[in-house]
Amino acid sequence: MADAFTPDGAPGAWALEARGLGKRYGRGWALQDISFRLPAGRICGLVGPNGAGKSTLLGIATRQVQPTGGDLRVFGVPVGDPEVMPKFAFLGQDKPLFKRFTVAETLRMGAELNPGWDMAAAERIVRSGQVPMEARVGTLSGGQRTRVAFALAFGKRPDLLLLDEPMSDLDPLARHDMSTLLMSEAVERGTTVVMSSHMLTELEDMCDYLLVLAGGRIRMAGDADALVPAHALVTGLAADGDPATALAPHTVIECRVQGRQFHALVRKNGPLSGDWVVSEPGLEEVLLAHLRSPDAPPLYTPGARTEAEGSHTS
Amino acid sequence: MSTPLTDAPRAGRAPGPRMLRGLSWLVVRQHRAALLSLLAATVLGSVWIVYERSRMKDVLDAAGWPGKELAQPAFDSDGVGLVISALGGLPLILAVFVGAPLIAGDQEQGTAQLVTTQSVSRRRWVATKFAWIYAAVLVTAAVLSALFTWWWKPYRSVFPSQWSDGSMFDATGPVLPALCLFMTAAGITIGVLVRRVLMSMAITFVFAGAVGVFWDEMIVHLAPTRTITYPLDADMPSRLNESFEVDRWIGSADGHLYGWGLCAEETEAASDACVKEHGIVNNVYEYLGFDQMPAMQWTGAGILLAGTAVLTAFVLWRVSRRPL
Repeated sequence: MADAFTPDGAPGAWALEARGLGKRYGRGWALQDISFRLPAGRICGLVGPNGAGKSTLLGIATRQVQPTGGDLRVFGVPVGDPEVMPKFAFLGQDKPLFKRFTVAETLRMGAELNPGWDMAAAERIVRSGQVPMEARVGTLSGGQRTRVAFALAFGKRPDLLLLDEPMSDLDPLARHDMSTLLMSEAVERGTTVVMSSHMLTELEDMCDYLLVLAGGRIRMAGDADALVPAHALVTGLAADGDPATALAPHTVIECRVQGRQFHALVRKNGPLSGDWVVSEPGLEEVLLAHLRSPDAPPLYTPGARTEAEGSHTS
Repeated sequence: MSTPLTDAPRAGRAPGPRMLRGLSWLVVRQHRAALLSLLAATVLGSVWIVYERSRMKDVLDAAGWPGKELAQPAFDSDGVGLVISALGGLPLILAVFVGAPLIAGDQEQGTAQLVTTQSVSRRRWVATKFAWIYAAVLVTAAVLSALFTWWWKPYRSVFPSQWSDGSMFDATGPVLPALCLFMTAAGITIGVLVRRVLMSMAITFVFAGAVGVFWDEMIVHLAPTRTITYPLDADMPSRLNESFEVDRWIGSADGHLYGWGLCAEETEAASDACVKEHGIVNNVYEYLGFDQMPAMQWTGAGILLAGTAVLTAFVLWRVSRRPL
């Protein structure tokens, strides 16, 4: 099995690499001209409002959606190539399983269809949730079924695990269990994880990389640690005209005026000087501001942006 | 999570013999019910045909057939009619209940996504499904057709329909297996395109019914007809007793053909006058002989199998080209 940690610069250093990726459905673009890179070994949150293109992006990465244009590589292998299939595992929103199969048969399916199958790991995940091996999948609770789906995904020993709102239908207890399981398995194996979610707190706890989509385009991409400090929350007096002019050298993502005061989230361009109160925003505030302001310019941290078309040589 | 995460190392494989591996195991496990139903249909259908044959044999032996004529020209019994209906309905049943849900079920349930995000390609998965289902359909239809042919051939003169009738032609020889395969392939194709189980079953039902009607019209075109000319006042040669009449004329000595009803007049005198007036001397009979039946059946089976191959290739091409 390939090691997820190949030296920097080698094609395998990037778990996902998109160049000008687009998908058009009849009425319009679900994804348009997406370019980004995700380094191997990161836990990446995929954030965006409904219809932003998150599921389409995950669908393209798992070969279930044919891109209209552009290129997506998984550890350097184009997704069109069947070679990528053993490299990733996917857990969809509704986690389809064969309802008439027993849990043991479901795991056997994983063993039969995947060359690198790890039965011990899959059985450990199932047993740690007290899911009976002989029970039919159709009789399991939502949390148990998700656990079996997780076991199937981790048993495949993927280098890249793609999750589409994996916890959305779980109660808080099961969600906590699954998050713990996901993190421990991913960290132990160095698996790269991409998970879409609406739970911003969940993302804040788990993810060290972010991909923010809105309207089929990238709003932000990069290290969570670098994305947030690039912003500042500014509060000041709005008496002397438009606060945006006063904040001019900085990129204003969002600005609200309340009486004589304004609150703004800005992307810093040099030191903030002025008669303002400046504070550091939380991840949630940054994300919400970006999702509310689709016209703000996208932000990439260094390395998160793919080079211009054609310069890809490795 | 009270169980320790580090269980004792376990054997990777489930105990028990592993007769099937990989995709074959998955396909057989997923379609276990359908495959077992086909097996049951084969066994029960075979027993039923053997039983009905022996009943017919007993009745005919008691009546002294074929030495003596039967009281009625055809052997009429509910059993015979039921067997013929069952064999006639088999292709449609296979198309609707086996073919249509085969892949549409996975598309509707989302399990297509489950299987195609493992490490096997869509085309290999679908090809394995085809292989197993075709094999099962072929075995069922071939066994039933062989047994029915074995029953029907020596007793064909007492069956309610002639050999050229769809109910006999489609239930014997290579036609039944070919028709079953074609209809199953049509059901699978419709399912892949429609992506919904119930909808595809309904469309398949209508399609299979329409194909059935069209196919019965096709039968007489499967071989070139023969024409025989014999004197107007003679009986038809007895070797043509089993032939299927395609058309019939009356003809003059110079080879001119007239419609059969041309001289059907009210009185015999008028008829004779008509015959004389047109110079009619011959009966002209266009037919398909019973000896042409095997050639016709193999031709028909060939057409159906070609259709099956085209549909299968289309589905495989489509599946490998775009996601399910």
